[in-house]
Amino acid sequence: MSRSQETLSLKRKRPEPNALALTPENVLLNLIKSKGDMGIWKADMKRETNLSEPVVTKALKALQGRNLIKEVVNIQNKGRKHYMAAEFEPSKELTGGAWYTEGNLDKDFIDILKKSCSKIIGKFKVATAQGVYDFCKDNKIISVDITTQQILEILRSMVLDNEIVEVKSTGLGEFHKIPVGTVCYRTASGMGLGQGPKVGAMASIPCGACPRINQCTPDGIISPKTCKYYQKWLDFGI
Amino acid sequence: MASQYGIKLAVYLVSSYFGDLVAKVCECLLRRGTLPWRSIVQFTELNPTQVKNSLLVLIQHNCVQAFAMEQEGVFGEAPKVVTQYMALFDNIIHHMRFPKFLAIVSEELGKECEEILEGLLQHGRLSLNQILDRHKETSNQSGGNCTAQDALQKNFSRLLCVRYVERCPAHEPFIAPPNEEGAAVKKRGAKSAKVTEELQTIEQRALAAAAPMEALRFLFETYTETDDHELESEENLSNMEVGQKRKHVDSEAGTNKRKKEVLWRANFEQFVRRLRHKACIENARTRLDDGAAIVLSAILEASRSSETKVKVESSIPLSMNTIFEEVMKSEDGRIMTLEHVRTALAQLAAISIDETYSVDLKSIIELAQNEEVESIVLKRYGREAYRMFRLLSKAGHLLETDKISDTTFVEKKETAKILFKLWKDDYLHMEKIVASAGRQSQFLLWKVNKHSLWGHVLDEMYHAALNLRIRNAHEQEQEKEILQIPREKLVGDLEKRSKRLRKVRIVLESSLMRLDEAIMIFHDF
Ligand code: SF4
Repeated sequence: MSRSQETLSLKRKRPEPNALALTPENVLLNLIKSKGDMGIWKADMKRETNLSEPVVTKALKALQGRNLIKEVVNIQNKGRKHYMAAEFEPSKELTGGAWYTEGNLDKDFIDILKKSCSKIIGKFKVATAQGVYDFCKDNKIISVDITTQQILEILRSMVLDNEIVEVKSTGLGEFHKIPVGTVCYRTASGMGLGQGPKVGAMASIPCGACPRINQCTPDGIISPKTCKYYQKWLDFGI
Repeated sequence: MASQYGIKLAVYLVSSYFGDLVAKVCECLLRRGTLPWRSIVQFTELNPTQVKNSLLVLIQHNCVQAFAMEQEGVFGEAPKVVTQYMALFDNIIHHMRFPKFLAIVSEELGKECEEILEGLLQHGRLSLNQILDRHKETSNQSGGNCTAQDALQKNFSRLLCVRYVERCPAHEPFIAPPNEEGAAVKKRGAKSAKVTEELQTIEQRALAAAAPMEALRFLFETYTETDDHELESEENLSNMEVGQKRKHVDSEAGTNKRKKEVLWRANFEQFVRRLRHKACIENARTRLDDGAAIVLSAILEASRSSETKVKVESSIPLSMNTIFEEVMKSEDGRIMTLEHVRTALAQLAAISIDETYSVDLKSIIELAQNEEVESIVLKRYGREAYRMFRLLSKAGHLLETDKISDTTFVEKKETAKILFKLWKDDYLHMEKIVASAGRQSQFLLWKVNKHSLWGHVLDEMYHAALNLRIRNAHEQEQEKEILQIPREKLVGDLEKRSKRLRKVRIVLESSLMRLDEAIMIFHDF
C-alpha cells in the first residue's frame, strides 16, 4: 500500500466529516457486512480496499471496540484473522458445522454420542435414526440439543466403522415394527459384520502391511529370506 | 496377461515341482505369450531336446496347451502349419491348491475317490488302465482282482458323475488363422459376430477347439476314435515343417482313425466352482447368520448340475418348494421352518420372480473383495483412513475433501493428509477442480477406482504368496540337518529347534492357504 493512497483517503475525509463519510472504518464495516455470514480475512480486506496494514488494524480495533464486528475462527485456516459483522452467525463453512466448537472438531462429544447410539441399537437390535433420536429425547440421554440429522450422521459414521449395519426393513422377523423399505440400523446377527472390521488374509501376514513390498524381491537386499518383519512374526519364543 | 508377480509365482511353482529347465520354458511362454517351438529354443537358449521334453512335461501336467495354425510362408513359400504352445497360467497356479481339491473329494466322496484323484493330480493325465495299475501298486494287490477293479471303476465313475474328473482336451487342435476368421465373421452377420466376440483371442479359440464335446466330456468310456494327433505332434516337435505330411494325414483322416485309450485329468473348473460356492456360503455365515448359510448352501447344492460356467452372476432360480426340500436334506436344515427359510432368503436379498428365488452371487463375491481390501487399508493406514476408504468405495463416485471430512468425523486438514497418502500409494484416484469464482479456488475430488486397484491388490497378493513359499523353503533349508535327525535323538536344543521349525511351517502354510482363498476371490471367482 502506498503512502500517497493513504494520504488521499485521509484528505477525502476532511471535506465530508459526517457519519456516512468514507472513513477507513466505514469502508471496512461496509465491506465486512457485505460478506454476511462468511466474514472476511484481513488480508482480503487490505486488497479489496487498498488500505494499508496499520490503517486496517487500527480501524478493525475501533470497530471491535464499538461491538460492530467480531473476530471468528475459520476452520479452513485457523491462523488467519477472520472478521464478521456482529449481527451475523458464522456459516457452516467457517465453523465446520455442528460438530465443531471454536474451530475444533468436538471429538469427545462425537464419542459420547456414538457410545449412546451403540447402546440404544444394541437394546433394540434394529432401529431407525428417528427411533434412536426419539429414545434419546424421551429418556434425556443427551443433555445438549441435537437434531435427527446429527443422529443420522453419527449412525452413518458407525456404519463406516463397521460397528453397525445399514439395512432396509423387510417387514419380517425383527423388522416387524418398521415399515417395509425403511432404512434402519442394526447390530450384527452374524459374527463378521458390525463387530468391527474383519482381518483379511492379506492383512494378517507381514507382507500385507509392509511399507517396503515394492522393494522386496526374492533375492534382493530386502527379501523374504532376511526380512525383519518375518523374523518378528516367526519368533515364537521357543 | 497375468500380472508381474502372478508370473513370478507361477514360475516359482513350476520350478519347485518340475525343476529349473521346465520353469525356464514356462517363464518364456508366460512372459512372451504363445510361441512356436523354434522361438522357444531361440529365446531360452536351451537345446531343442530340453525344450521338447520340458514342453511334454508341461502338457502332461496341463500347464501348456498346444495348437496348430497355418502361417503364411515367407519369401513366397507355401503356407505351412506350425504348432504353437500357450501357457495356461490358471492351471499352473491351481497346482498349489491340490491339497484343497483333495480335501473336497475326501469329504464328499471318501478315501477311495481321493486316492484316484491324487494319482491324477500327481501325474497330470492318466488312462483308466494306468489308474488301475497305480491302484494295484499302492494297495499291494496282485493283478486280476475283479472286485477291486470293479470298485475302482465305480469310484471313478462317481468322480466323473460329479465332474471332478474330465476327459483331456485334444492334444493339438487345428485353428484357422485369425484374418480368415475375421473375414468369415463379417459375412455371417451381427448375431454370430457377437458369439465370436466372446472368443476373441487365438488362445481362447484354441482352448475352445481343444475342449472335448460337452456330451463326451464326462462320458465313461475307455476307448475313443482318434486321429492320433498325439503321435503326430511328437513327430512335429522334432520336425516342425510337416505341413505337407499333415495335409496328407488329414486327407486320409477318415481311414486313419483307430482305437486309442482315453486320457483323464482332474477338472479344475469344477473344483473352482465348488470353492466359489464354499466361499459364498462362508461369507453369508459371517455376514448374516447360520440360517442364511444353510439356505444358500441348499440353493447351490440343488442347482449344482445345471451351472455351466464358473463365474455365474446369480444362482439358478428355484421354487420355494425345491429350496425347502433341499434345506431339509441337511442335518442343520431340518430344524428350519418355512418362515425361517423365507427370512433367510430375504436376508440374502434373493430376487424373486414368478415364485422362484435367485441369489446374486456376484455381489457376494464383490462384498468379499471389498472386505479384503478394506482390511488392508485398515492395517496399513489406520482406522480413519479405513472409514474414508469405505465411504468412497460405497459411494462409487467422486467426493470432495470437505464432504469426506464431514462424514467421517475427521478434521479437515487431517482428512486431506490421509487422502493424499492413500492417493500416493494408488489406493485412490484424485481430480483437481479449479473454480474461478469464490474464495476457495481449488477443490480436490476423490474416488476409489476399483478396476485398477483390484489388479494392484491381486498382484501384491501373488507377491505375498510367493514370499510365504520362499520363506518356508528357506526355513526348511536352514534347518535341514534337523529334518534328517531321527526323532528320538531330538533332545534339548535340537528338540526346541525342531519344534520351532514345525510351528513355522504350520503358520506359513496355513497363512498361504488363507491367502490363496483371497487370491481366488479376486481372480477365479
Ligand atoms: S517379505 Fe518382508 S519385506 Fe518383503 S514384502 Fe513381506 S514383509 Fe515386506
